Amino acid sequence: MIPLAQRLVLPLLFSAGLFAVLWIWKGRVINELGDPAIVTGWFLFAVILFLGAYNVRKKLAAFNVGPARAWLALHIAGGLLAVCIFLFHTGTLWPTGIYEQILATLFWIVTITGFFGVAVIVIYPRRLTDSGLEINYEEIPSKIYDIRERAEAEVVACTEKSGESTLADHYVDTMDWYFRRPRFYINYLVGGIGAEAWIRSHGDAVRRYLSADETPFLDRLLSLADEKTAIDRQYACQDIMRKWLVAHVPFSVALIGISVWHLILVHVYAK
Amino acid sequence: MSDADFKMLKARPEIRSIDAEAFPKTLPLDGIVRYDMRVNRYRSGDIVVREGDYGNSAFLILQGELVIARSPGIPAEQLGRIQTQREGVLKRVASLWRNSWVPEVRDVDRYGRQTEDQGARTRKRGAYLQDVPAIMREQDTIILVEGTLFGELAALGRVPRSTTIFAESPAVVMEIRWQGLRDIMKFDQKWRRKINDLYRDTALKSYLRQIDILSGVSQEHSSAIAKHCLFETYGTFDWNVTFRRGKPDEPVIASEGDYPDGLLVIRAGFARLSMRYGKGRRTLTYLGAGDMYGLHELYQAWKDPTSTNLRLKFTISALGYVDVIRIPATVLDEHVFPNIRKPHDPNVDALQRNVAEDALMEWALDKRYMNGTQSMVIDLDKCIRCDDCVRACAATHNGNPRFRREGPIFDHWMVANACMHCKDPVCMIGCPTGAIHRSIEGGTVLINDDTCIGCATCANSCPYNNIVMVPIRNRQGIPVIDTAESGLPIMKATKCDLCAGRPGGPACVRACPHDALTRFDFRDFQVEAMD
Repeated sequence: MIPLAQRLVLPLLFSAGLFAVLWIWKGRVINELGDPAIVTGWFLFAVILFLGAYNVRKKLAAFNVGPARAWLALHIAGGLLAVCIFLFHTGTLWPTGIYEQILATLFWIVTITGFFGVAVIVIYPRRLTDSGLEINYEEIPSKIYDIRERAEAEVVACTEKSGESTLADHYVDTMDWYFRRPRFYINYLVGGIGAEAWIRSHGDAVRRYLSADETPFLDRLLSLADEKTAIDRQYACQDIMRKWLVAHVPFSVALIGISVWHLILVHVYAK
Repeated sequence: MSDADFKMLKARPEIRSIDAEAFPKTLPLDGIVRYDMRVNRYRSGDIVVREGDYGNSAFLILQGELVIARSPGIPAEQLGRIQTQREGVLKRVASLWRNSWVPEVRDVDRYGRQTEDQGARTRKRGAYLQDVPAIMREQDTIILVEGTLFGELAALGRVPRSTTIFAESPAVVMEIRWQGLRDIMKFDQKWRRKINDLYRDTALKSYLRQIDILSGVSQEHSSAIAKHCLFETYGTFDWNVTFRRGKPDEPVIASEGDYPDGLLVIRAGFARLSMRYGKGRRTLTYLGAGDMYGLHELYQAWKDPTSTNLRLKFTISALGYVDVIRIPATVLDEHVFPNIRKPHDPNVDALQRNVAEDALMEWALDKRYMNGTQSMVIDLDKCIRCDDCVRACAATHNGNPRFRREGPIFDHWMVANACMHCKDPVCMIGCPTGAIHRSIEGGTVLINDDTCIGCATCANSCPYNNIVMVPIRNRQGIPVIDTAESGLPIMKATKCDLCAGRPGGPACVRACPHDALTRFDFRDFQVEAMD
């Protein structure tokens, strides 16, 4: 099990080597009074295609096309190389012309989501482990439903036993919102403890109005809320680990499609 | 057992010669005969034991003869094994669109095409041989005659059967479970001597030569050592039963502070090495087949008999089941120590570690993970829970994943529910058709879907719940029902096969982009985790 940073060393060196080759090639083309943008453009397109091939690799589990860990390292290094070649090709962050701007927009979206993805795969797995709970993403809705059922049962039992509706009213007014679905999504993503603070404050707010009979029910309710907090944290982190690809992959496909059209246009008008 | 069979067994000279008075009232000989023995009647071609099977019983021929197919051996296909062939590119390409969305689809016509001889429709492939005369012509065979005892090595030592034995003509054979055999050996000296002598004659010498400190001793010394070795077994053979119930056995073999009287060599199974720590016991390491305990102390005692530091430093206990060879101290003093240098005590290194560093070992031994040679371990600090591993597994198994990405977690390590391809494969004990077996090529534990009869013996035995029984469906997606007998869905045992036949090794490992999933032998895992 080799850390990502270590796995990136060779691909980064390889990418740097490729960039050096392109640099020299471009110099030669300029010396021969050719159009260097053709060379850098095709080079960039080849790199983008290679980056897109990573997604195809995932579908080819039955074939021995190299381990995915090597592909990912090459994908990340290739992404950095693509940014360098893009700047080398366009000479600017933001080109002129609407078509080029569409192309650049797609390129930068894919690049930014890619960087975001790298951050996600580095940060969130550890955060999930530290939460001390492990749950399959698909099971989260049923777990939340189960906790809500148990919470509501506690509230009903409290009312039946004490004859008071204080806790039930408080639950309907405030805590029901918390138990209904995953909450504090962004807060979990940034590593906050908003949920814990919210639970504590809403628990404290009602405690002073409860009798000795009702207090144990509140304690159990808060412990269920803590259980849900751990699940919500899992939900937020696992969700972002899946959702970032929803932006990265479709925009990548669009980028490849528009790049093909760009190549056709360039060669048609170059003639 | 029927009364007639019971009487027949009691009348046999081998049983009659056992001194019934030597057995305690709580464990009478009659009880052992009735409940630990059975009489099997074999027809021509029936397989009694298959080469490579893990068995838990020994056999005594009562009537007729049996045949050992010595060389070149019965073809694996006839024994109900899978021949793992490298899967071609075309088949793999086809799997891109041919994998079924319906779970566990099978070509059920294939089961029907399995050749069964007309007169024996109830006999499953893997349980009998078809063309016995041809086998007799082509094989170098040995005939076992009435009164021969065999299979005791596999029954007592948890080693695979070394050869295939079948009936050429009808034969009656007594089968005795390992528990009964062990009890008889415990209370009857003649049986004990007979079985120990059999082991001494057949396997012990070659085994002793594989032990480091004995590899250099002369033939003469080796014979003397073998002559005095004692054989001991601790724990229960079916340790998986008590383990699954949450009450694992761990009998002590030698205690910290005892004086050693012999070198303990682990022949099969695993033992825990622990020491007193605070009010509990701290696990330092575990010993597996071929490991020794007590050598350092015995050498010290031989070198300097006046030394005061000769007691055992650690307690050694059986992790479920362990088979031990005890080489007495006097034998070592005479035949071994004069010829070797002072041995290094590897267990002392373990004392340099702190308890936090040993916590993983403690946890893993409690879960009995030392058994795994290909445990699926996921580093949760790297895993992004994308399930690419599960999808890759499904893609290589006709759309059906063969493991679950869940399981016990220690720190940031998850041991997923995937077959660990154990050193001590308890799942292989008792399979009636030999469908679950170890591949000869790589040691992988495989299930032959064609010969699996869905009895669930393997799934019930697996201590880690890594074998799953599934109802199968035909190509139309309709569950296949056993219309002839029970009317219930036909089940098959399924588990990870390490992607046998696929180039590049397990697809799950290759599919993980974050290098979070690896298949480990437990000792290597410990090293990795320490790093």
